[in-house]
Amino acid sequence: MTDWQWLLIDFFQALAAGLLVGGTYGLMCVGLGIIFGVMRVVNFAHGDFMMLGMYVAYYLVTGFGVLVFLGPYVGPVVGAALAGPVVYVIGWLLHKYLISRVTGARVISAEAEGHYAQIILTLGIALVLANGGLILFGSTPLSVQTPLSRESWEIGLIFFNQARAVGFVMAILCAIGLYLFLTRTNLGKALRAAADNPIAAAYVGIDVDRSHRIAFGLGVGITAIAGGLFAMSQSFQPYIGFDFVIVMYAGVVLGGMGSILGAFWGGLTIGLVQQMSTLVLPYQLQNTAIFVVFLIIIFFRPQGMFGRVWERT
Amino acid sequence: MLKIRSLDVAYGGLHALSGVSLDVERGQFVAVVGPNGAGKTTLFKAISGIVTPVRGEITYNGKNLLAVPPAERAHLGIAHVPEGRQVFASMTVMENLEMGAYTRRGQERWGELLPMILELFPILSERRGQLAGTLSGGEQQMLAIGRGLTSAPELLMLDEPSMGLAPTIVDAIFERIHQIHTQHHVTILLVEQRVVEALETCDRGYVLETGRVAMEGTHKTLMSDERVRRAYLGM
Amino acid sequence: MAGKRRAFMEQYALITIFAVVYLVIGFLVRNSYYQLMMTLVLIWGTMGLGWNVLSGYSGMISFGHAAFFGLGAYTVTIAFVKFGITPWLGIPLGVLVGVIAGVLIGIPTFRLRGHYFALSMLAYPLAMLYVFEWLGYQEVSLPMKRENPIAYMQFTDQRAYMVISMIVMVACMIISLHVECSRFGRSLLAIKQNQPAAEAAGINTTRWKMYAMMLSAGIAAAAGGLYAIILLVVTPQTVFGALVSAQALIVALFGGVGIFWGPVVGSAILIPLAETLHAELGHILPGIQGVVYGLAIIVIILVAPDGIYWKVRDRIMARRTPAKVGAQPRLAEQISIAADAAPESRPAFGQTILQLDGVSRSFGGLKAVDDVTLSVPQGIIYGIIGPNGAGKTTLFNVLNGFLAADKGSMRFAGTEISGLKPHEVCACGVGRTFQVVRSFPRMTVLENVVIGAFVGSKTDDEAEPLAYEALERVGLADQQAHALAGALTTKQLRLMELARALAPRPKLLLLDETLAGLGHDELEDILPIIRQVNRESVTIVIIEHTMHAMVKLADHFSVLDHGRLIASGTPADVVRNPAVIEAYLGKKWMHRAKDQVA
Repeated sequence: MTDWQWLLIDFFQALAAGLLVGGTYGLMCVGLGIIFGVMRVVNFAHGDFMMLGMYVAYYLVTGFGVLVFLGPYVGPVVGAALAGPVVYVIGWLLHKYLISRVTGARVISAEAEGHYAQIILTLGIALVLANGGLILFGSTPLSVQTPLSRESWEIGLIFFNQARAVGFVMAILCAIGLYLFLTRTNLGKALRAAADNPIAAAYVGIDVDRSHRIAFGLGVGITAIAGGLFAMSQSFQPYIGFDFVIVMYAGVVLGGMGSILGAFWGGLTIGLVQQMSTLVLPYQLQNTAIFVVFLIIIFFRPQGMFGRVWERT
Repeated sequence: MLKIRSLDVAYGGLHALSGVSLDVERGQFVAVVGPNGAGKTTLFKAISGIVTPVRGEITYNGKNLLAVPPAERAHLGIAHVPEGRQVFASMTVMENLEMGAYTRRGQERWGELLPMILELFPILSERRGQLAGTLSGGEQQMLAIGRGLTSAPELLMLDEPSMGLAPTIVDAIFERIHQIHTQHHVTILLVEQRVVEALETCDRGYVLETGRVAMEGTHKTLMSDERVRRAYLGM
Repeated sequence: MAGKRRAFMEQYALITIFAVVYLVIGFLVRNSYYQLMMTLVLIWGTMGLGWNVLSGYSGMISFGHAAFFGLGAYTVTIAFVKFGITPWLGIPLGVLVGVIAGVLIGIPTFRLRGHYFALSMLAYPLAMLYVFEWLGYQEVSLPMKRENPIAYMQFTDQRAYMVISMIVMVACMIISLHVECSRFGRSLLAIKQNQPAAEAAGINTTRWKMYAMMLSAGIAAAAGGLYAIILLVVTPQTVFGALVSAQALIVALFGGVGIFWGPVVGSAILIPLAETLHAELGHILPGIQGVVYGLAIIVIILVAPDGIYWKVRDRIMARRTPAKVGAQPRLAEQISIAADAAPESRPAFGQTILQLDGVSRSFGGLKAVDDVTLSVPQGIIYGIIGPNGAGKTTLFNVLNGFLAADKGSMRFAGTEISGLKPHEVCACGVGRTFQVVRSFPRMTVLENVVIGAFVGSKTDDEAEPLAYEALERVGLADQQAHALAGALTTKQLRLMELARALAPRPKLLLLDETLAGLGHDELEDILPIIRQVNRESVTIVIIEHTMHAMVKLADHFSVLDHGRLIASGTPADVVRNPAVIEAYLGKKWMHRAKDQVA
């Protein structure tokens, strides 16, 4: 084959890899997007909830082997899915006892001061989770063992890593499920109403604080599922959250802060940027590429590429 | 039905309401008029629990309303149609109406109320799938009233339904409000800047001036009173 | 002035005592590990001071100070390793690199606010982290210099590093002290509380924020440089990592935001705590340091969101002054006697001081201000009234430069002011107040007003008399001048804001709903003061939506409705104008009125 044919194959290979990773990123971003959309809270600890999801999946599948009976193919996927409810409960409790004290309907209206309290509080939670993770789980990089991660499907000349492909499909399914929840169920609609206009929501009888608690739990739970899926093809350690929080914010900002659907497309785009950047940049700089894209978006189009402007400026 | 006694509300040391007392009997149409800044919206927010009074009491069907959390008040049968409409802009017209019926009573009577509302405001039926944020001001006002009605309220509180709307639309909306009162027997508490529109058909009216009730009475006594004019124009 | 100097001397003495006591303890400590820890306290204290200069004073929270710390550390290291430059020069060089980075980061990032600013600041050090890893600087050690180690800042005695770090930190404390007490720090504080109000008070916010960023970055880089010398090895993770930024923020927030003692106190408590736990329990609980920082910040945000320093100080202040500033006698007794009969006997007004021609401003399709033409004669009290949403505040925002006019010209005292920035409009002699009073609650009334006086004074020393004079004009000079603004009543706050606008001696005052929400008695206090200010040759334009107080105050009314000027004239004429009655009471009222006449 000629040089440019190889180049073309490289290009499509990166595109495919980007798409697969991007699906999982998209799901992570959706989780963050819900929290910001509903609560207007910048959750700094979001990456660490993803990390928790990874460890929950790991312990269910590999560590304690609870799910061994499901076999090496189904087990990891179920493990990832179960990470959702577990982390949901953690998020729900954290919101009830900590986060609700600096957020909520009252804080939304009182701009400046409350803003910083919540962002700094979540920074504190991030530090506790990451370092508490180090104490509990140790610093050795781990990954969820599955034969999927070593195998690929080959379509044409392009390889699709099976673990990532399965993760991609699961992520899409979760995102669709969430979309249906938000648009078809009464509770989902109530969450959107609370996000749209908290005061009017209270007028129609929606308990805004409860909506926030559910949204926070849901947001971190979904991201935990994405983390669990990601853990099949990527090794992780307790500090992984800090790297990912920027990746996720890049996706959410790209999608338009507050737009839940936009967050998915934003995450997908970030996955593509990350993988495609390896075509022109050294491998180590792929995250730098994300940060650069993030800064460019924030400067030139803070309302995001997808979705509408929700943020009042 | 609704009884307010010597209500004081203050924001950061400023008295928004002082010593306001007000009664709404079941089936009545009660109007509160007054110029901007007189405290009308604050009065509504106190009833809905968005602001907490410094002093005074609010009872609803004999129940102390101040002890009820804000989000619970809608479930008691109080519907608040806020100033400036406040529709859920990112949701469709239909979803907005569904959110109005978030209360148990609203859900139970959804089947009968929805056709009634769509008949009252046919335009909402036409735009049912459209995002509420894309509606015109008048349509949003109709939607806000419709959203209030889907909760099957006993008491419908309307905060300045005429705000920012063209005169012909205002006339149409007031016509509907009277229809809701007379045909559907909903008790109405209306807050308005426009005196005549509000007082014309009310059973009882209150004039608020800088946080106090300057006058109260039937619409006949209020409409002819020179003091109403002075409340607005200062001289 | 003498008071200010004494306060300075007090602080200097306290800093000296602190430094001496700390160093004495440091010299008595024999264990080199504890000596290292005491040095680290100073380095993180310095880092916290750097963070505080930007984020503590101006309120723009930075999650990315590791960028400057890391650049400082790597500059010193690379200069030493590659070029053999001694750290004595390397650290100043690192500071320079940090300052330059501060400018380069500041230029684009200051366009962002709130969340966006905080998040994008986070991206810089992380991007640098990967770049330095890629460049092959994963782990760089500073080599030992056997001959002449002192020339390369290498000492066998740990305590030498402690002294150097102490010198750097004390220097940063003194710089911070001077920043706090100067127009620099006051301006940053004003920006933190309310950027629009600061601009309206004549503060060039862009310039001060940039200075703060440069100073802040320089200090952080110095801390990074010291860190490299003391630990003798730098890795991208230890100097650019998110924990570095977090630690800067945490020591400052924990100790106290916006005060130079804060980071020092925070560092002195948290660093030993975390380090000791790490040393004792680190082998079984490897992340214990991070957990301590995390818990510290969670607890502080919930219990004392501004930090320990302020909590303690508020306690002490509360004990010292048990009663608040009580109900004071009527402020304006003498003035009110003189001014009671004001509106009738008015002199003829001078020539036009403010001329608006065809000014328009729309938002999307909505014309908020629509072709407004008016002229304000010198010496008048000019009232602009209109229902809610009529465009009054928008008109003010266009006038003082917050918003650009789409069309039209605005001339003030002969100069075109459309297109000027708010602080430039203010410098021309146009003062303004706001609908919602924003004060700086932890500053005294006088200090609040001094911020307004900066634009009218060349040196900081001139500002205080100007502020005092303004306070006298509104009757707050005696009892209230040294009270904390947080203890004032609403009426007093309004007067304080009036004084802030008056301090630079403006020729024209724009008052935005100064009378709104005041009760009858309070109005009776405030109206004579406004009249008196006006009589002392300040032209006043005031907007209100209620007419009550306005008919007693204004010489001339203009009525705005839906952005258009619908009537203009004497108060008596305007309230009888049918268009005005319609705007306020509705069309039907007009019909009825006509019917009744007929």
